[in-house]
Amino acid sequence: MVDTNNINYEVEKKGYYKVLIGLLLLTGITFIQPHLFMAEASFVPQMIIAVIKAYLIVIYYMHLKGEKLIIPMVWFTLTLVLVFFVIVIGIDVANFQFGAESYITAPTAHQ
Amino acid sequence: MSKTYFDETHCAIGHPKSKFMQWMLTVDHKRIGIMYAAVMFTFFFVAVFTAFAMRLELFAPGAQYMDGDTFNQAFTLHGVIMIFLFVIPGIPAIFGNIVMPLMIGAKDVSFPRLNWFTFWLYIVGCGIALTSIFLGEGVADTGWTFYAPYSLNTGTNVIMALVAAFVLGMASILTGLNFLVTIHRLRAPGMTFFKMPLFVWGIYATAWIQLLATPVVGITLILAILEKYFGIGIFDPSKGGDPVLFQHLFWIYSHPAVYLMILPAFGIMSEIIPTFSRKEIFGYRTIALSSASIAGIGYLVWGHHLYTSGMSDTAKSVFSFLTFFVAIPTGVKFYDWVATMYQGKIVLSTPMIWALGTMITFAIGGMTGITITMIGLDIHLQDTYYSVAHFHYAILGGVVFLMFAGMHYWFPLITGRMYDEGKAKIAFYLNFVGFNLLWFPMFIAGYYGMPRRYFDYLPEFQIYHQVSFVGAVIFISGLIYMFFVFYKGWTKGEKATPNPWNATTLEWHLPTSPPPLENHTKVPYVDFNPYEYHHGEPVVKFDYKTMQRID
Amino acid sequence: MSHEYVPEIATDRDGNQHEVQGWQDDFYGGKLGFWLFMFTEVMMFGAMFLTLAYYNSLHPQDFLEASASLNRWLGGFNTVILLVSALTMGLGLLKMRAGDVKGAKLMIWATILLAIVFLGVKAIEWTAEYNHGVFLGLPAMQGGHEGSMPFGKILFFGMYFTMTGLHGFHIIIGIGLMIWLLKRINSGKVSPEHHILHWNIALYWDIVHLIWVFVFPYYYMIGAGITVAGGHGGH
Repeated sequence: MVDTNNINYEVEKKGYYKVLIGLLLLTGITFIQPHLFMAEASFVPQMIIAVIKAYLIVIYYMHLKGEKLIIPMVWFTLTLVLVFFVIVIGIDVANFQFGAESYITAPTAHQ
Repeated sequence: MSKTYFDETHCAIGHPKSKFMQWMLTVDHKRIGIMYAAVMFTFFFVAVFTAFAMRLELFAPGAQYMDGDTFNQAFTLHGVIMIFLFVIPGIPAIFGNIVMPLMIGAKDVSFPRLNWFTFWLYIVGCGIALTSIFLGEGVADTGWTFYAPYSLNTGTNVIMALVAAFVLGMASILTGLNFLVTIHRLRAPGMTFFKMPLFVWGIYATAWIQLLATPVVGITLILAILEKYFGIGIFDPSKGGDPVLFQHLFWIYSHPAVYLMILPAFGIMSEIIPTFSRKEIFGYRTIALSSASIAGIGYLVWGHHLYTSGMSDTAKSVFSFLTFFVAIPTGVKFYDWVATMYQGKIVLSTPMIWALGTMITFAIGGMTGITITMIGLDIHLQDTYYSVAHFHYAILGGVVFLMFAGMHYWFPLITGRMYDEGKAKIAFYLNFVGFNLLWFPMFIAGYYGMPRRYFDYLPEFQIYHQVSFVGAVIFISGLIYMFFVFYKGWTKGEKATPNPWNATTLEWHLPTSPPPLENHTKVPYVDFNPYEYHHGEPVVKFDYKTMQRID
Repeated sequence: MSHEYVPEIATDRDGNQHEVQGWQDDFYGGKLGFWLFMFTEVMMFGAMFLTLAYYNSLHPQDFLEASASLNRWLGGFNTVILLVSALTMGLGLLKMRAGDVKGAKLMIWATILLAIVFLGVKAIEWTAEYNHGVFLGLPAMQGGHEGSMPFGKILFFGMYFTMTGLHGFHIIIGIGLMIWLLKRINSGKVSPEHHILHWNIALYWDIVHLIWVFVFPYYYMIGAGITVAGGHGGH
């Protein structure tokens, strides 16, 4: 199946460059952000920008836009990552039960 | 005399003349499945031998001929071989490869050369595991779970075991990937997802687990190697690392792994029950969807292996609740199978009695799992013989018994011959009686406090070990006899017809037995359900030259 | 395998013909297979981010300080390099699909070059860290003695070397894949009519880039808002 060859070269090329500019701008913002806002909690805006960048890359550079079968699979995988690695472990860590006695967390362990 | 897949084959590299090289280089899914079976059962018997050696040592308290360190190595080797080399590749590697493409009317899997590469990757993994026995201080003595911090400090060949497990994990991932693309792309025209046989549903759900869960243990093993070798700190308390994190990462894979083991086995059950009840399966859609939901929910329950690790009570409650929940789809399947048998014309051939025996043993395995899902009970029963009996009833009495059932069911398809029915039944009874005698006393021993992975014990437990030993002898005799029956059947058995059980699914509608290299003469158009019976007879009939329906 | 594959036809009971999808010449299947492989990479790096986030939650201040001591400008430079390399890789695939094989090869070479620059900068960073006494196996990273760093910093740098190391390993594999791709193009096995390999290697490069999109801010930028006394190679 070579229907992927029916492309408008100029239009697609412009698209790539537009995404590049977008990504460069976002990278620039990541450098300015600590001087502008939320400097003490940089983690949050940095991760949000990373997610936006990732979205642009996946949809445009990786041609995922319009893929009827693969997009639900992507959502399933990301949900799994989110649920395992963020929600469930997050619940466990938020309810840390032995923080005062544990060697690796007790105040004497040098923060 | 038409040619079968034993007479000719496609190869990954070139066109070798020697039969040996044709087997080494074959990309044919049927031959690859047979090679997996040959290697896997060899290692199975090695692991059975280590288990027997342990049972022999444990016959009486005190050291007889093994010291504690060797015993630790024995149960580690037993676990590593059984889990990573045998049960996890298990049914997908053998029957997923041989039967699944036939069931969907395909000529091979989507990536046959990848399939060939994956088989040899598996062999490399086996080789590394085997080598670890003979080098340095010998096999790892950490248990197949490799818990930190002991695995970081012991001098035995832990790194080799971890590398072997990683390589074997990669083989599992690639098999899952291959099967997922095959099932999505190569189904015969007209075969929608809800017209696929339930064994294919089982393989499909399993493939998702192989794909998404295995990488987690892969990276965990790499992190453990980096920790042992470079001291990165994440599992080492002297650097602030948390050994319980290793447990979490390990079980995030290893619990879905047990669903990876049982889902194809349930698929086999769903094939055998309708064929030997001469009746359409009851609740096709619910069984199919329950496979998918077991795969999905099964990702969320790993914490029940960590109840005694120091997790927060909140987390323990969450995991306990989810674990109760995941038992429901399995219960649905059991009810559907029993409903299928109701008012059917039951045929008690060997595959059917294996399946029925498994319903008993897996039900015991599953229900004892529910008891230790309860946090309070688990605090008492964790790491005792109760857990050991539970998972052997579930894995050996569930997955492996159904693998044996599948072997009896698809034996005529793969070999073109039939085994001796009477002798096969005797083998079943030896296995069934021996199995229960071996494992049931352990529930009681565990309840009274016999710890697992101990090479010595208090005299009050001796009676349980002795009964288990007798069971072990009977069970192993049954295993050996069963393989003897297969061997006699393959070499001297009666020639079989392409559809000796008069079943309905596509793998039984081949022109020759054994199948030809290119499977079906022509790919049929599938406008029928997989289990259509009318008054005990299959509805769909084919002309095998044109694969057109003639009913 | 062979380019002369002719698909089978299945006929239903009404006489309608249906083309059978074979395993040969299945572009969509090849694409699907590679996406599935990429999910495994997501799970692997996801587990490592989990580990990082866990220890971050135990030692927030240490993590901010350790992050601040990394060289943001070298890291940012590498981010831009990788970004541009994703563009060149994508343009290369575009040219191949449009029939411009020479242009495609030029773009692949450009990508390889940028990848080598990335690795070079990484080597400079790691050398600087080594010279400051922060590296795997050095005393600062062992626990429990006078010269050791606090727990949070040991863990931060343990995961830093692990993740940037594995990421760099994936870049090296990517360079190898691109060189192999060039050979396949030269021998005619990859062409505008049969370019699934090129497609998949471009996807591979995109996922290597995607991993860095998350690695960079988490390691280099979270500490950017604090001022720190005595970083090494810091801004």
